[in-house]
Amino acid sequence: MSAPNTNAIQQWLAKQRDQRTLHDWITDVGPFAMLFILSALFAATTTQFLTYQNLINNVAKNSAFLLLVALAGTFPILQQSIDLSVESIVTLTGVLTVVLIAEYQLGLLAIPIAIAAGMLAGFVNGVVFTKLKVPSFLVTLGTLSILMGFALIITGGSTITFRNQAIRGIATGTWIPGVPNLVMWGLLIYGATVFLAWRTKFGRYCFALGENERVVELAGAKVDRYKIYPFVLSGLLCGTAGVLLTLRISSASPNIAGGLLLPSIAAIVMGGTALTGGVGGPHRTILGVLVIAVLQNGMNLLSINPFVQEIILGVVVVSAVAMSIDRAKIDVVK
Amino acid sequence: MSDSVSSTATPVAGESSLRVEGVSKSFRHVQALSDVSLDIRQGEVVGLVGENGAGKSTLLNILTGVLQADEGTLYVDGEEVAFTSPSEAADHGVSLVHQEQDVITNFRGYENLYLARERERLGVLDREGMREEAQSFVDNLGIDLDVDEFVQSYSFNERQMLEIAKAFHVSQKSDNPVILLDEPTAALEEAGRELLFDLVNDLRDRATFVFVSHELDEVLEISDRIYVLKDGELVDEKDAAAATADDLQRSMVGRETADEYYRVSQQRPADDLGSETLAVDGITDGDEIGPLSFSVSEGEIFGIVGVEGSGKERLGRLLAGDGKLTHGTVSVNGTQLKSPSVAEMVDAGVGYIPKDRKSEGLLLYQSVLVNTSLAMVRKMKGKVPLLDLDAEKDATARAIEELNVKTPGPDALVHGLSGGNQQKVVIARWLAEDTPILVMDNVTRGIDVGAKEEVYRLCRELTEQGVSIVFIGDELPEVIGMSNRIAVMSEGQFVGEPFDAAQGNKPTEEDLIQEMI
Repeated sequence: MSAPNTNAIQQWLAKQRDQRTLHDWITDVGPFAMLFILSALFAATTTQFLTYQNLINNVAKNSAFLLLVALAGTFPILQQSIDLSVESIVTLTGVLTVVLIAEYQLGLLAIPIAIAAGMLAGFVNGVVFTKLKVPSFLVTLGTLSILMGFALIITGGSTITFRNQAIRGIATGTWIPGVPNLVMWGLLIYGATVFLAWRTKFGRYCFALGENERVVELAGAKVDRYKIYPFVLSGLLCGTAGVLLTLRISSASPNIAGGLLLPSIAAIVMGGTALTGGVGGPHRTILGVLVIAVLQNGMNLLSINPFVQEIILGVVVVSAVAMSIDRAKIDVVK
Repeated sequence: MSDSVSSTATPVAGESSLRVEGVSKSFRHVQALSDVSLDIRQGEVVGLVGENGAGKSTLLNILTGVLQADEGTLYVDGEEVAFTSPSEAADHGVSLVHQEQDVITNFRGYENLYLARERERLGVLDREGMREEAQSFVDNLGIDLDVDEFVQSYSFNERQMLEIAKAFHVSQKSDNPVILLDEPTAALEEAGRELLFDLVNDLRDRATFVFVSHELDEVLEISDRIYVLKDGELVDEKDAAAATADDLQRSMVGRETADEYYRVSQQRPADDLGSETLAVDGITDGDEIGPLSFSVSEGEIFGIVGVEGSGKERLGRLLAGDGKLTHGTVSVNGTQLKSPSVAEMVDAGVGYIPKDRKSEGLLLYQSVLVNTSLAMVRKMKGKVPLLDLDAEKDATARAIEELNVKTPGPDALVHGLSGGNQQKVVIARWLAEDTPILVMDNVTRGIDVGAKEEVYRLCRELTEQGVSIVFIGDELPEVIGMSNRIAVMSEGQFVGEPFDAAQGNKPTEEDLIQEMI
């Protein structure tokens, strides 16, 4: 107890500690540091990593889908609920896109219809969660199964394809020189979600609801509808991802979106949006997405056994989440 | 009160039991304690008072090893110590009885007593041994408890006794334990209070007590000596037998109070009030409340009092639109509403300030700005559904200025503000959109004297501008001082006509209590 801070460094450290908690540093700097370390590692160990071809065509293009799904998941998590049905919405809208183009010959019109179906799925999630007061993880776990069932019925469990090459350009083309369309769509939608989060009432209420619903209600907000909107938005973004995914490969199957859920939640939390809601936001989710995309890409370049990759990814995800949780704000985890 | 002081005050000029020398502690930019020294001697009961934010909690936390001082030294029984955890402090005999009861209700008494220090025999809980020892331990303290009962079957008071027994139990390694009591009476009824004081008096030859409380009369009654903290400094040390509550108050606040406390001279007289703004006509929730009718005029403060469970809190909620009305209407400025929602009431111009700001009033981990603008963001600038960031900034700056909110800035998290400043942010939310009718439930609950005065000043200014206030409160002097009229509630209804509480014609506490019971 007698003042031990005799040397200056200790005093400086103590002061830093007081001003910002270690957790603040980890959440703020962590994703950047991780991205930098991984990139440096792969740049040093492989010759291909730091090439335009790899960074744009592999890392950026492949991560566009993860980005959309992670942005979709960010808003429900911000308001302290969760959407576990993202994969199934991507799958179903993808399947619908193929059917609408191939069987109904709807052409471009297939896109808004498929996306609207995604929004409808999200709306149902939101309404059941809000009005029937079923916990969101349970509702969306249920719709995960239901929508997957629909996708299986429509496809008969196999891959279905379409032949309209012109329409594929939306996903496969390069309208802006040097920027593949997939990357362009990803960035545009990223910008739109950041804008939604910070400049609209919807975004503000997402943060506020994530912290304390009662306070928002007593401040006069129509709480129920603002609890539904994030799910509708999630449906919209997942629908968009499903459409783009399908257009890119001109086919859809029940497992096109398999394995997106865990990395998307990992990306959200790593980026800095806490599972306890109220903090973070979509602007940070992209960092988590890039970390995961770079990790996956690097492991591929290093020819690491895909089964081992699964293990590494899982370990990284849980450790990253463990580091980014603010334990000071959580009493008991059950 | 003075009789009991003389009967209890038998100061033993014992050895120093717990001594604090030059302790300082700061958090970020705030100096919570600076150079505090005190000396607590064996067998004493020492009071510790101060406004919220004066540093009482920080001091208690340092004494029990929850926090470590930046500077300064602690001595227990003359020996220098440096606690790094509460259990280390307990090993030296220093333990704390928490403000909120810290017992597990679905455990038995003895299980709570041995919580986290269970006795085992070959890896199996030694229930029999623990039970017997626990029973003889509490018997020995003179506490009447059956430790084999589940705590949920204990009365509130018995739980408190159990907590005190626990404090003795964890510090039994020491011959001379120091028991810190943090607001122990806050939740007790009068009878419980007496029991607690008797117990403390009975045990004073076996332990040293530090008694922290906002209730100055109680501190005077039970303590031998009283330390006064203000803004992190020790500003006064008083002999309890010679001091009065006013003396303590003055030391705590650092200026004169009482007389103009409620600014009664600024209360608008009945003939100066404006037209009727809020009219409640025969409302009932079909259960607890009503039927109830009353009206409030522009510039009026309408007080509502009643015992716990009288329905006054529920009535406040109904006025806020929080809860269904089965019959009756609420009219706001002539617009009649049937079972309105919160959103409708807010749109009509009624703002609600709930009793518990932490669970219902504030987004603690959001900024002052987000909290201040939370109601005004309902309305959009023009038809574009975007936030009007400039308007939010302006409103927040204005609120900080007008309400004198002490915050590092509009972007600081509300969590870090003191209770009084937090409450000002809740109020600021309604000022930001010029809400004409405010329903306040215990608006000064848990805030310090200085902040209370500012809230009273603000209420007067608001009524001057024509705001109507429904002022629900548990502290009778406050409701009496602030209100133009006062309704007494009992079993969901008003008892008779509201009291007139015009200047010079205020009812007494006794008048109200008679109707309340």
